[in-house]
Amino acid sequence: MKNAVGLILNVDGEDDSLKDFLQHRSLSTLPFGGRYRLIDFTLSNMVNSGLSHIGVIGSHKYSSLVDHLGTGKEWSLSRKTQDLSILSGSNNYHIGRLIKVNLRNLQNNRGFLDATGAEHILIATPNLVTTFDFKNAYDIHLKNDSDITLIFKKDDPLYHLKDNDLYLEFTKNRVSGLHYKREHTTGHFFTEMFFVKKSILEELLDLSERTGDWDLMDMIKYNIDTLRVFGAQHTGYIKRVNCLENYMKTSMDLLEYEIMQELFLGKNSIHTKIKDNHPTLYDDPAQVSNSIVGSGCIIDGTINHSIIFRDTQMNVGSHIQNSIIMQRCEIGRNVNLNYVVMDKDTKISDHTTLVGKPHAPIVLKKGTVI
Amino acid sequence: MNTECVAMLLAGGQGSRLGSLTFNNAKPAVLFGGKYRIIDFPLSNCMNSDIDVVGVLTQYRPYILNNYIGDGSAWALDQVQGGVHILPPYMGQKGGRWYSGTADAIYQNLDFIDRFDPEYVLILSGDHIYKMDYSKMLAFHKKKEADLTIAVMDVPWEDAHRFGIVNTDEEHCIKEFQEKPEHPKSNKASMGIYIFTWKELKKALLDDAGNRESEHDFGHNVIPMLHESGKRIYAYPYSGYWRDVGTVQSYYDANMDLLDTDCDFDLSDRNFRVFSNNTSRHPQFIGPQAKISNSLICDGCIIFGKVENSILSHDVVIHKKTSLKNVIVHTGAIIEDGAILENCIVGARARIKGDARYVTDPADTTPEIHVINN
Repeated sequence: MKNAVGLILNVDGEDDSLKDFLQHRSLSTLPFGGRYRLIDFTLSNMVNSGLSHIGVIGSHKYSSLVDHLGTGKEWSLSRKTQDLSILSGSNNYHIGRLIKVNLRNLQNNRGFLDATGAEHILIATPNLVTTFDFKNAYDIHLKNDSDITLIFKKDDPLYHLKDNDLYLEFTKNRVSGLHYKREHTTGHFFTEMFFVKKSILEELLDLSERTGDWDLMDMIKYNIDTLRVFGAQHTGYIKRVNCLENYMKTSMDLLEYEIMQELFLGKNSIHTKIKDNHPTLYDDPAQVSNSIVGSGCIIDGTINHSIIFRDTQMNVGSHIQNSIIMQRCEIGRNVNLNYVVMDKDTKISDHTTLVGKPHAPIVLKKGTVI
Repeated sequence: MNTECVAMLLAGGQGSRLGSLTFNNAKPAVLFGGKYRIIDFPLSNCMNSDIDVVGVLTQYRPYILNNYIGDGSAWALDQVQGGVHILPPYMGQKGGRWYSGTADAIYQNLDFIDRFDPEYVLILSGDHIYKMDYSKMLAFHKKKEADLTIAVMDVPWEDAHRFGIVNTDEEHCIKEFQEKPEHPKSNKASMGIYIFTWKELKKALLDDAGNRESEHDFGHNVIPMLHESGKRIYAYPYSGYWRDVGTVQSYYDANMDLLDTDCDFDLSDRNFRVFSNNTSRHPQFIGPQAKISNSLICDGCIIFGKVENSILSHDVVIHKKTSLKNVIVHTGAIIEDGAILENCIVGARARIKGDARYVTDPADTTPEIHVINN
């Protein structure tokens, strides 16, 4: 994919239900799956598909993103050839409704677009959990001499859709209409990943400057007859994490072996920042089943149907189920947790019981001590 | 360039007593404790001792070792000046030859050490499991104004005959050496860790290289020669966990020590960390029927069976209806449905068929350890 560059940009906004996790980080660095951050999936998919130049537009809460991505070494992106660019932050204005792809964000990073010699831009959101090879979609994009190629999924795969989520309407193989969910639904759901010709994107940017319409999806929607827009189908597992309930469900999906296999055991792996931990120690009284466990943990209790991140310590007599325990948490003796999500560095003292609900888990903010 | 102390790590040995574990791999690169390789211990010790120039002398099957050490960044040894240097045998104007002994390996790299113009040289080997702050030993060496300091530790008297034993006076000055003595006069065993004052070492190596009778070995030739010539040789007393993992049994026992809660060797200690060169892997997947107790398990493992008192390296797959007890499994091995393993070491990427049965008599307190490779 020599002639394409990747651009990662949150097109989903940040749902209020996740606000406890997003005080110090953006959605893209939300911890996920025992050792990952959400952005690892999109970034690894781009790298594994052969993209070697990728720009990431973060939110104003930059430090966790910069800390996580570093020089990009873990994703085989080298500093020397400027493979990874961390770009100016995004502005998502809530004026009535959220704009998905806000052209102001691209306007602010015009330098990134100007500098690239590539003719095609792959734009994708950082909150997708999927493994996807973009090569087929890129071939479709080139073969049709397409201005824009939208990657779609048949039926509704992504859990709760919001009013401003988009559906594609096809006439033969060409996309002839784009509809917001609130208007009209079809069986073809936009995954928030698409290829666009750089020249078209630049035209649209110039146009938006004149008209004051900053919503790229709106501009595509209203110019669908004059633009050559095609679709490329995503057939595998794909979930979008855009609210707490989706976060819970998508996390727990990993405990199904078939999904785990598709995401992590295929030929392309999901890369993430490497930490230097000792192997996880399961002590004598430990009983662990149907769970995902990171390295560096010391486990003395019972764990069932849960996701345990790196460096967690859990003491004797404690019982965790249906929960997500992020990095460096400490759980005392005889603690009972069911449907609880603990952010990093949280401590729970002996004899505490916390029981949430499947649709409304108890959330403990980063650094909480109970 | 001036560096106070340069470390030279002898990593060229074959380790033939580890059997098939070293068929394709040098001993220092053999996996230990799941994710570690033996060389992680001396390299991490260097890092924790503020020693930032390390020469690694390689010779036997070096590929995995070289690849693993890389640029040394895993141990923060990727400095602009200094850092880790891999030193294989090389050609010179008069031809080249293999390293013919521990002292010869250092002799052939005198130029390397001279580049850093150190005061002291620390000699380490790549087959011991321990944590040690070498800076304390260096301070001892300086205080004693020694020419050579040898780290020693007390071993059980009944084992003393298997070690190089030193006899010292009350000031820790070494008076006598006994190599694997039948009747040991002390139980202070050499740990194979030496600090030399560089100018003394250089002189000794030049002398030794000129001696046709010498086997060019530190323990057998160079140190006795220095002792005879009246140099100041001191014993630095070390107490703590230290194991030589030169044989299958000692390698197995030292691994199993990690599962023993009474053992004082702690890999989770944040104050003295052991680092290793990590690659990205998915977290452990523990299936619904899995049973795990008293075990160390690394990233990338997928477990559907029963694992008891065992150590699993990266990317090990344990299928259903299997049972592992007292087993060490190396990277990428697959244990198929129904296999029962006890007291084994399973080599990297081995595939164990479902009908495999390695079961030992429960009454046998010292069962033989099988090494399974394929």
